[in-house]
Amino acid sequence: MVGVHSMIFQTPMQKLIPIIAFFVLVFSADARELTSGHAERMKAGLELFQATIRPALVESCLKCHGDEKVRSGFDISSRELLLKGGDSGDAIDLAKPKSSFLLGLIKHEEEPEMPPKKDKLADTLIADFQKWIELGAPYDKPLLEKKEGKPGAMRVTDSDREFWSFKRLANAVPPTIESDWATTEIDQFVFAKLRGNNLAPNPPATNQARIRRAYLDMIGLPPTPEQLKAAHSMNHAELVDELLASPHYGERWARHWLDAARFAESHGFEQDYDRKFAYHYRDFVIKALNADMPWDQFVQYQLAGDEIAPDDPLAMMATGFLGAGVFPTQLTEKEFESARYDELDDMAATTGTAMLGLTIGCARCHDHKFDPIPVKDYYRFVSTFTTTIRSEIDIDLDPEGYKEALTKWEVGHADLVAEKSAYESKPEVIKAFNDWLKSDAASLVSASDWTTLEATEAISSQSATMLTTQADGAILATGKTPAKETYTVKANTQLKEIRQVRIEALTDPSMKRKGPGRAGNGNFALSNFKVLSVNAEDKKQPLKLVSAEATHQQNTSNLSVASSFDSNPDGTGWAVDAGGIGKDQAAVFKLEKPLQIEKGTTLQFELRFANNGQHSLGKFRLSVSGSEKPPVVVGGGQSDSLNSAMGAMLTGILLPEHRKTFFAYFAKSDVGWKKVDAAVQQSLAGKPQPSMTKVQVTSEGFPPTKHHADGRGFPHFYPKTHFLNRGDPNQKLGVAESGYLQVLMRNDKTTSDWQKAPPKDWDRTSHRRLGLANWMTDTENGAGHLLARVAVNRIWHHHFGRGIVATPNDFGLQGTLATHPELLDYLAQRLITNGWSIKALHRDILLSATWQQSSAASPEKAAIDPINEFLWRFTPRRLEAEIVRDSILAAAGQLDPKMYGPGTLDENQQRRSIYFMIKRSRLVPMMQIFDQPEPLASQGSRPSTTIAPQALLFMNNAQVVKWARALAASVSAENPDDAIRELYLRTLTREPSSAELQDSRAFIKTQSASYNEAKDSRQLALADLCQVLFSLNEFVYLP
Amino acid sequence: MLQRAGAGFGSVGLASLLAQEGLLGANAADPHAPKIAHFDGKAKSVIWLFINGGPSHVDTWDYKPELEKVDGQELEGFDKQTGFFSNSVGPLMKSPFEFMPRGQCGKMVSSIFPKLGEHVDKMAFIHSGYTESNNHSPALFMMNSGQPRMGLPCVGSWATYGLGSESRDLPAFVVMSDPLDRGLPKGSAANWGAGFLPSVYQGTWLKPKGDPIENLTRPGHMSSAQQERQLDLMKKLNGAPRDAELEARIKSFELAYRMQSAAPEAFDIDREPEHIKKIYGVGKKNCDHFARQCLTARRMVERGVRFVQIYSGGMENQRSWDGHNDIQGNHSQFAGETDTPIAGLLEDLEQRGLLKDTLVIWGGEFGRLPLSQKSKKPGRDHNPHCFTTWMAGGGIKGGVSYGESDEIGHHAAVDKAHVNDIHATILHQLGINHEDLTYEYNGRRFRLTDVGGKVIKPILA
Repeated sequence: MVGVHSMIFQTPMQKLIPIIAFFVLVFSADARELTSGHAERMKAGLELFQATIRPALVESCLKCHGDEKVRSGFDISSRELLLKGGDSGDAIDLAKPKSSFLLGLIKHEEEPEMPPKKDKLADTLIADFQKWIELGAPYDKPLLEKKEGKPGAMRVTDSDREFWSFKRLANAVPPTIESDWATTEIDQFVFAKLRGNNLAPNPPATNQARIRRAYLDMIGLPPTPEQLKAAHSMNHAELVDELLASPHYGERWARHWLDAARFAESHGFEQDYDRKFAYHYRDFVIKALNADMPWDQFVQYQLAGDEIAPDDPLAMMATGFLGAGVFPTQLTEKEFESARYDELDDMAATTGTAMLGLTIGCARCHDHKFDPIPVKDYYRFVSTFTTTIRSEIDIDLDPEGYKEALTKWEVGHADLVAEKSAYESKPEVIKAFNDWLKSDAASLVSASDWTTLEATEAISSQSATMLTTQADGAILATGKTPAKETYTVKANTQLKEIRQVRIEALTDPSMKRKGPGRAGNGNFALSNFKVLSVNAEDKKQPLKLVSAEATHQQNTSNLSVASSFDSNPDGTGWAVDAGGIGKDQAAVFKLEKPLQIEKGTTLQFELRFANNGQHSLGKFRLSVSGSEKPPVVVGGGQSDSLNSAMGAMLTGILLPEHRKTFFAYFAKSDVGWKKVDAAVQQSLAGKPQPSMTKVQVTSEGFPPTKHHADGRGFPHFYPKTHFLNRGDPNQKLGVAESGYLQVLMRNDKTTSDWQKAPPKDWDRTSHRRLGLANWMTDTENGAGHLLARVAVNRIWHHHFGRGIVATPNDFGLQGTLATHPELLDYLAQRLITNGWSIKALHRDILLSATWQQSSAASPEKAAIDPINEFLWRFTPRRLEAEIVRDSILAAAGQLDPKMYGPGTLDENQQRRSIYFMIKRSRLVPMMQIFDQPEPLASQGSRPSTTIAPQALLFMNNAQVVKWARALAASVSAENPDDAIRELYLRTLTREPSSAELQDSRAFIKTQSASYNEAKDSRQLALADLCQVLFSLNEFVYLP
Repeated sequence: MLQRAGAGFGSVGLASLLAQEGLLGANAADPHAPKIAHFDGKAKSVIWLFINGGPSHVDTWDYKPELEKVDGQELEGFDKQTGFFSNSVGPLMKSPFEFMPRGQCGKMVSSIFPKLGEHVDKMAFIHSGYTESNNHSPALFMMNSGQPRMGLPCVGSWATYGLGSESRDLPAFVVMSDPLDRGLPKGSAANWGAGFLPSVYQGTWLKPKGDPIENLTRPGHMSSAQQERQLDLMKKLNGAPRDAELEARIKSFELAYRMQSAAPEAFDIDREPEHIKKIYGVGKKNCDHFARQCLTARRMVERGVRFVQIYSGGMENQRSWDGHNDIQGNHSQFAGETDTPIAGLLEDLEQRGLLKDTLVIWGGEFGRLPLSQKSKKPGRDHNPHCFTTWMAGGGIKGGVSYGESDEIGHHAAVDKAHVNDIHATILHQLGINHEDLTYEYNGRRFRLTDVGGKVIKPILA
């Protein structure tokens, strides 16, 4: 058996196989044919075949069992094949005709019922089938001419595209009805269906129930007494709009999509490492819903946001979708490839179920057993994700905010610069400078072996670091220190020959312990240092370094200055701890051969910091020397410009650049200049930086998220995806190119019609996913209509507890049929017409009389429709895990409304439950107990169980007790009746009845008496009452 | 779909449970929905002693005299990627332990099981087990859920989904892990997860410290009478329920109240008389922790718990049976931790008449190689191609062996037993046909045994 095989299908038939096999062995069909009367039986059988059986087989069976498909491996096109049976074993039992599996299927006694999704065949016809089998199931000739091609290979045809969910949306017109009850077009559809089933809808719910229901349904929190009061004075439409505008709306509804997206924040499997930056995807879903992002864009962003809008942080965050599945973190070489195919399967399967309600994953080992998805379509679909991997990248989540801040800063900064230059132009300053030139300037000169370089360019490989050049030639690093980076510095020099290079590592108050490094202890580690000469044609020539000396080095081995140009570029390097922190340091490197500087030659220096996290240099200066043995010291260098300025002074002709050079030396002692300069420097230090945040994305071309098996050479992806035999990576059948599902392509379009080559300047990703996103949302020729059907059904499902299609994740043959197919198409069409606005859909639903009707039970109606599929009432149902907990927090006044950001596993946290971190091995017990599903594969609907551990939680859970006490403490205990009224309002959104008031009052009295030892006995009793209110059916059920 | 689904941990809301994915609509309302062909199972409960980390079959139950002869030789043609470490493959290595015949049946048993050896006449050995992964976590998932992937329901979940539980006051499916801070088995809770089955069927992991089950203890400030008053008030304020589901919810509080006393009683092994504790080895230094778990397991099945799983050992390497280094020391230690407790469990179950309807399983996620793994003291690496597992009680024939490994214990050779076959056999003993226990999810009908599995009939009594 293949390890990756996960398709499980079997029919109840299988248990019968041994029995049938037994009988066939004993009484073979041939034996029967020797009995007397054979000829008559044969004749009668053939007559029956021609009269009723053949037409029935051709009409109802042949298409899927012999002609276009051979579903379940069962082919009825000839007698021979019929008797051969299918994947489920024999279909015809000639020895015991009545036990034939085929009869069970058409009688709807066995599953799958045949013909599928259609009425049962007429009883007379079924009787004919039985008779015919008793007569030996004869054929006069095969039902088909000789078949061509490989038997069993699935072809997708136009008739497959006519299956109800693959069809184009019908132009559904609301039926005309006679009723005062209906207020919207939705109601017309619902009412007509109710009437057709001899049912009548319930009257409207009470205002109190309607308001409470609206709050819980739309934002997942009960109304506060104030909100309740305000809601009573609004009309229903105003209330709905207010709730749709609440930021809590996204927090409630995002959770449903997270179930469908199998979202979690850890890898699963053996170590279950955290995915620390995965929460951005959750935030994306909340933000997108709150902003009413059109659903087609919502879907596109999740598939290819990085290709559609790489500069939009939301689009990047959205790509978390594809990579949210489980992935093993400990892999052996033998598992590399199959693990990758599993990962691709997870992406494809989740995309299929969540967006299209299609179980694409079922076609991994063979053609889909039920839906028109050939195995080839599966591998083409999977191939779309071939190079798609999980990465963690730095993103500015607020580019607009950054731009705004920068513009504001630039205006202020320009003023300061202007002020400074105005000061420098003041006549008295110029006079003082001229005096200084005459008297003091000459004393600056002292011949030095070191020429300080003035950088023409200094950048870090990481955008978080900003390098700025100081007046003295030093370069200062600011910004958030990245884990690893490389500084690249370019400079010119007027020297003719260079033999030695010096790095001064300088202290600065901006660093911990003054540096000179940016690490937490002030250290740095220069893991690799390169010097290159660049000629006029931009040709780069690395210069070999042969030896080095430093004023201090941390050790003489892996942290020595020599190790900064050894063969290990990242693992070793010059560091200065063990006595060198907080002091200026210098290292001098000798070139193998003196470098002759020709015209146009420039120098490039690369300083890499990679052998320890955040160990970059904070401030440094580069110098060069033509001397054989210049001193290994800090300082004492002078710049080229000072050299030439001094030369000019000797000639007596100072050019403006010479004056500028000297001015810097003069200014050092000018109090007024220092003041204006300080203002400029301070402003520079405050220059806004893009605020970079680590985000988990699923994309191509970024470095993969670190993996345990990297050390074993895990490749993260393979450049090609292959067709596999039976899903086995060891049985490759050729390369699969990216493609989409044929059954959802119309008008002779092919995959390439949706694909677009990336722009010329774009090579990071393949744009395969962009093509997928285009196809997915194409309402003309692609999957758009199914996408819309599935989307509206999900929303409907969560409003009513049951979708129009009761299997939100399966719109294929195995899924259930729509209870209101016209309504589904009507809503889907309306979704598209409304620009894919989900909020408009919510509004339509909430304004309907269907949604507003009461939830009152009715035995008469339940007798006709026990599970309320036709919506004769609003189905009361238990609140979901998150809403139960959030409602308790909200009622107790303990809810922390902070949105977004990293989650937590702490059950004491007071933010909404959607902000629990979802760690696969440590799911939050309170969520689990109320049926939050395990985030392993897409979930379309949650079960709703009622189990004793839930009761235990209400009775004994530490948080519940704590929040009950908080609620009790927030009301005045002075007058018990007032307190009870207030508590009822806060928890149940209503006043207590007089009986309830009386029972509660009596309880408080007895309960506080029993706490007579405690000094806050009344408070304890009130808290116990609060706990009872939290536990009531009314509190945890949607009214 | 199974008609008898339900009754997990005090489950009472069956109707709403079935409503998931439209099951109720599609099936329960349909009188023709297929029903499972149940038969009377021999076992009512399962106690699965999970020998975590991969016990070495050739050093425990699978005696290989041939291996002694080839000790020290290279194994020609050996695929170095068979185990986990491809760069420390050593030569063939005989078992460091002596084997001797035990019981009436004369089964050759390693000297590390002095006590357990006394019970071989109760055990049926499967020597030809094989699995699909050479790596702990996938192999654990395989052994627990039938597939080497995360996210499928485990055997205990399937069993309780199929049969419910006979205990209303205790979880239907209980899991105990290493209490000595050596970690959880690799993949942790996913090993007893319900996957796509309703979460009510997941294993209840007993916390090794403090209250074993969440929320089982009344708040400290509250007396029993005070809590009862709360429940009385709740009943009054809830009023007459208008739906069966709401009524079930009211009942769940009554059940919860009873559980508060019933469950701690069941977990309190100090109520056991000294002589019983003694046969399990309670109080013995090296095995006290496992003895307590085995005794707890007996108390659980006695009270109708359907499925109990106990993990011997924590995570990997020296923290479990994962003897990469020093197989001799490692296996001596873990055998020492479990020998007396498991022997005691078998003895106690038998003397109470519980063994006949309690299926006891001993086994890990894979076997170990007959080669040595180079190390300071030689160890053995993972072997997915062969392992030994045994079953006892619950309608299993005693003193028999099924299947064989090859002469050196490298591959399963005769009557190979896939993990699916072992699962099929477990379900069969519980009275479930593994092909008929299915669950429809996202358009597929899933089973524990995927498309495989055959009951290992020769070991059935």
